[in-house]
Amino acid sequence: MNKTSSIIITLALVVGIGIIFIGGSRKDIANTMGSTQNIEIKNGVQYITINAKGGYFPNVTIAKAGIPTKLIVKTNSTYDCSASLVIRSLGYQKILVQTGETEIDLGIPKAGQPLQGMCSMGMYNFLINFS
Amino acid sequence: MKTYTFHITGTHCASCKILVEDILNEQDFIKGSQVNLKKETVTIETESNESAEAIAQLITNKIKPNGYTLSVEKNLQEKKTDDVIWKAIPIGLVFLMLFFILQKSGILNLGIGGKTTPTTSFIIGLIASVSSCLAIVGGLVLSLSAKISQDNISDTKTFLLFHTGRLMSFALLGGLLGVVGNAIGINFTFTAVLGIIASSVMLLLGLNLVGIFAKNKVALPSGIFNFFRKIEHKTLTPLIIGFATFFLPCGFTQSMQVTALSSGSFISGMFIMFAFALGTLPVLALLSFGSASFAHGKYAPLFFKSAGIVVIGLGLFALLAGLAGLGIINPLFNI
Repeated sequence: MNKTSSIIITLALVVGIGIIFIGGSRKDIANTMGSTQNIEIKNGVQYITINAKGGYFPNVTIAKAGIPTKLIVKTNSTYDCSASLVIRSLGYQKILVQTGETEIDLGIPKAGQPLQGMCSMGMYNFLINFS
Repeated sequence: MKTYTFHITGTHCASCKILVEDILNEQDFIKGSQVNLKKETVTIETESNESAEAIAQLITNKIKPNGYTLSVEKNLQEKKTDDVIWKAIPIGLVFLMLFFILQKSGILNLGIGGKTTPTTSFIIGLIASVSSCLAIVGGLVLSLSAKISQDNISDTKTFLLFHTGRLMSFALLGGLLGVVGNAIGINFTFTAVLGIIASSVMLLLGLNLVGIFAKNKVALPSGIFNFFRKIEHKTLTPLIIGFATFFLPCGFTQSMQVTALSSGSFISGMFIMFAFALGTLPVLALLSFGSASFAHGKYAPLFFKSAGIVVIGLGLFALLAGLAGLGIINPLFNI
């Protein structure tokens, strides 16, 4: 194998890895469009549901600001990193039950202050925007 | 009295000069020797009447156990090193790409329902060993293994100790978690910092394996360098590193630790963690013993450089993720 062809293959592979990383997040953005489905308002309390397994879904949620809000993280035999949830802005860190629901009180979120949660190793994350 | 100059391979450290000269000066037929690390040559004065090739062979037999070889001609492999890196980069990248595709594919998110028994934790261990945890635990194992094999110290013994240390400490700590219950809080920040240290070590070793630092021979800052010397020479160090992997950030490990916590007894906690560690063993053992067999084979230079590329990639991935996990940088990816 000569140098030139190696360089070409290398570039192709770098692009390929880039697509794996970035292409994935495009799909996540597409997910966001229908993200209102994971929000439910009951008795004046807003419930946001996030599924945690091999990542957090939906990845980006747009929720209402100014009303009491609770985050429900659903796990279904989740053993991977998404089970160890960290929300830095709340000082929240917990290893979730492997199967079940965990309720986290978000208080009354203000508009323009997004909430970011991630797994302890940092490779999965989710974002909730309040407006 | 005649003077010969030979080419030497394997002199990767400053102390190699002293070691080689010591060995040579012990030989009766050699009157004086001088190792030039920069040129990778050895000059000897001898009274022997044998041909240069025969002397080179004779000396090689003496220093081969320490990982050095002498030759009259500059070793062909050495000449190829420039090309080797161009082969190693695509090979390394292919492995990295396969790894990330595997992560994205979702194949690893198998449903394992119900109660966690030692059997399920064994299966979870098997999954964990090819999951994103591989980036940090596997990357560390690969980089250390390749480095140790490269330095040609009794690697099999070191690997056996590492894996034994890992299995034993998982069993022991799992048992302790079972007894103590909630008392040991598994601190996320602590594990994240440990992860960042591990990924920095991986990056350094990766760069070293690729040969970025190879020109000035003393590759790592002396403190770290001494640390690796110790790993190679002391029995205890691989055991301790095996022990430390218990605390490395890995979602699967943490889930199992929580399961062990809630198991309520020493025996059940121990079995859960031991079975989990046993599940991760095949892949990790393959990485370390695989490195050893490649390292002593024909394709050693290519293997070290490819492994270096893989380790650098995984190290970067783990470092960026770890920094994001600590809230120092914004998450760059979601894989």
